[in-house]
Amino acid sequence: MKKLLLGIALLPLVAAPALAEYPERAIEVTVPAPAGGGTDTSARKLAILLEKELAASMAILNVAGGGGSVGVTQFMQAQPDGYSLLATWNSPITTVPQVQKTAYGLDSFTPIASTSETAYTMCVKPDFPAEDGAQFLDELAANPNKYTYGNDGIGGTMQLAAERIFQQRDIKAVAIPFGGAGETLQNFLGGHIDIYGGSISPVLPYVESGEAKCLIVTSASTVDALPQAAGLESLDLAAQETLLWRMFLAPAGLDQAIADRLVAALEKTVNDPEYVEFLATKGEIPHVVTGEALSARLQSEFDGLAEAAKNLGLSQ
Amino acid sequence: METITSILSSVLATGPILAMIGSSILGVFIGALPGLNPVMAIALLLPLTYSMDPLVALAMVAGIYNGSMYGGAIPAILLRIPGTPAAIATTFDGYPMAQKGQAARALKIACWSSALGGTASALALITVGPLLARATLAFGPAEYFWIAVFGMASVGVLVGNDAVKGLMAAVFGLLLGTVGLDQLSGAPRYTFDQTWLLSGLDLIVILVGLYALPPVLSLAERADLDGLSASDLKLDNVRVPWSEVKTLIPTWIRSSLIGISVGILPGAGGNVAAFLSYNAAKNASDDPKSFGKGNPRGVAAAECGNNADNAASMIPALALGIPGNVIAALVLGALLIHGLQPGPQLFHQNPQLVGGFMVEMLLTSLIILIVGGAAATRVFAQVQRLPGVLLVPTVLVLMAVGVYVINGRVIDLWIMFVAGACGYFLEKMEVPLAPIVLGLILGPMAEQNIRRALLISRGDFSDLVTRPISATIAIATLALIIWPIGSALFRRRKTSNDAQNEEVR
Repeated sequence: MKKLLLGIALLPLVAAPALAEYPERAIEVTVPAPAGGGTDTSARKLAILLEKELAASMAILNVAGGGGSVGVTQFMQAQPDGYSLLATWNSPITTVPQVQKTAYGLDSFTPIASTSETAYTMCVKPDFPAEDGAQFLDELAANPNKYTYGNDGIGGTMQLAAERIFQQRDIKAVAIPFGGAGETLQNFLGGHIDIYGGSISPVLPYVESGEAKCLIVTSASTVDALPQAAGLESLDLAAQETLLWRMFLAPAGLDQAIADRLVAALEKTVNDPEYVEFLATKGEIPHVVTGEALSARLQSEFDGLAEAAKNLGLSQ
Repeated sequence: METITSILSSVLATGPILAMIGSSILGVFIGALPGLNPVMAIALLLPLTYSMDPLVALAMVAGIYNGSMYGGAIPAILLRIPGTPAAIATTFDGYPMAQKGQAARALKIACWSSALGGTASALALITVGPLLARATLAFGPAEYFWIAVFGMASVGVLVGNDAVKGLMAAVFGLLLGTVGLDQLSGAPRYTFDQTWLLSGLDLIVILVGLYALPPVLSLAERADLDGLSASDLKLDNVRVPWSEVKTLIPTWIRSSLIGISVGILPGAGGNVAAFLSYNAAKNASDDPKSFGKGNPRGVAAAECGNNADNAASMIPALALGIPGNVIAALVLGALLIHGLQPGPQLFHQNPQLVGGFMVEMLLTSLIILIVGGAAATRVFAQVQRLPGVLLVPTVLVLMAVGVYVINGRVIDLWIMFVAGACGYFLEKMEVPLAPIVLGLILGPMAEQNIRRALLISRGDFSDLVTRPISATIAIATLALIIWPIGSALFRRRKTSNDAQNEEVR
């Protein structure tokens, strides 16, 4: 009891300089995905640069499972002291709550900054009877339930991204859920499914070798890595844009001064030429959105996906 | 040729060589300590190497991976505690050998078998890797379904004396495998609104509890305060005569091929490779009854099979950019950090690095011979001299630490203890545990893939048997079920004929 009282008495003394000289100890970054994946490598590469910028060491903690919800839920126990951060892609925050009961919502976080983004793509074999995005959607619309497309799991962001487009054009295609983009790619290359649906980087080498023809990306504009794939704006579907993007979040109630310090560090490191080059090999581009604008971005994506999930009958 | 010499000269530099030797030794320890496993060790250590020379980092992966697969055999043989899940099949004959006073011999055979399996696998990776990788693309959901069924059919050999108990254990494993978020419908199954159950029960946590805890408890039951005396250890005179080595050769060839095949097709892993190899060795034997009672061929099959899985499991990752297991995913992640793009061009664009890694997988397999043969076997066999009162708490603490580190969750410790208690009582009731593992690993694989196959065929079941590869595996599955029954009948008739002949004479 005495120790506890002493601790409480000393607390302000410990807390005050922490704000002044943030960061003064190691920062723990929770990544709600397995080591080696896209979110993990992005976070680790950035952490190497952030360590120099913030002059503090960064410890990455991978907590995978439940499409990211396991790691995010565990992160909810962290204190908003700036020493616990979440490096996540958008799906656990905006997609998973549509289809699972989650212990967190958008208001559980202090948004720090988005870091990079990429689109999902849909690719077919070279002999598929379509040469561009418009023809691709027409072919799908003319043949309901004829084509199978692989995705990263039922209720995953890739499936919702595809269905948002399909719903606008009255397209019916058979969704085949796989464990991840690697498995989808394997089944696409083996000819077991007609359409690859997933992130850009795994399929990129096969576009170069001519084994895959990517006709559409789920971003409004085209993507540099896949110039032949149509962006949604050219198909009058700009409102159906769904991106795969990554961000840093803190628990709700983070001190503004610490948030500002982190925003400044992230803005600098994300645009570091070394990081931009690293992103390019994965088909990603840097895109920093911070503070209120980030909140708004999360909210509008959350609402758009909620509608798609409801139309699919997947809503929780 | 020029590439080969430049690859060799960069691998045989001081840095990679030291990394290979050090990590192989570390790997043997990681494998030998129950709870610690190569996936976890590589996930924790690989990120620390991001700033190093990539060949040093990859040497570390190769050493830990190959070393730990052999290391797992050490406690499996000495204490019936599998150090890694892949060493479960090693306990079947390894421990009975140790009880017969042949511990050192069993360890030696395990060491040779691991090294040979790993070497065969690395050679496959180096020579026919890209070709094999292309061939695996022909395997779709229908084929993976049959592979899982084929694996489960080997339960028949593992059920032991009481078929009903064995099948009950298999069904229990299948049941455990259904826990978690269903990938195909997105529905949570048996999760009771617990977020940590969404990703299912962690295989390693369950296996550590189920397999490592019961032997620890029975060790505690014996309450021996002394351990073996030095003179009982019989470490001298462990030379395995050439006549015996000769009998192991067919087992090594068979198990290497099985391990490589299982490794290159993602989803099953080293433990299934070991089970299938063990099963094949038993089926091929003239005297299947001697398995489970200390037959050296059982140890050879299991250890050769699980090491042959290693390098082969890297084939889809290095040749196609598609990781087949967690370690392959970690390696690809590390390559990305170093600015290399995984995919079919990887080898052509970076022969130095990819070729170097392949050579490192080969060399670390050979290092096991030295590390295991000369040093580890002699040192680790001394464990038998430790009295139970020291051994039991030590192993328990190591297990708890290892399991906690996997996900950093206290709940995993409870799962481990519950699984262990289940395993303890099931063993008391003579229910075999091996079918539980196969059910747990292969059940979800079979279920997801048959549902995917039916989605693709729009519900037409004939697709499952009309595709050439799936039809072949289906027939092989039938043969696997019929073979032991047929050969048992054949033997019975033969022996009764012999008996009649005797009488006539």
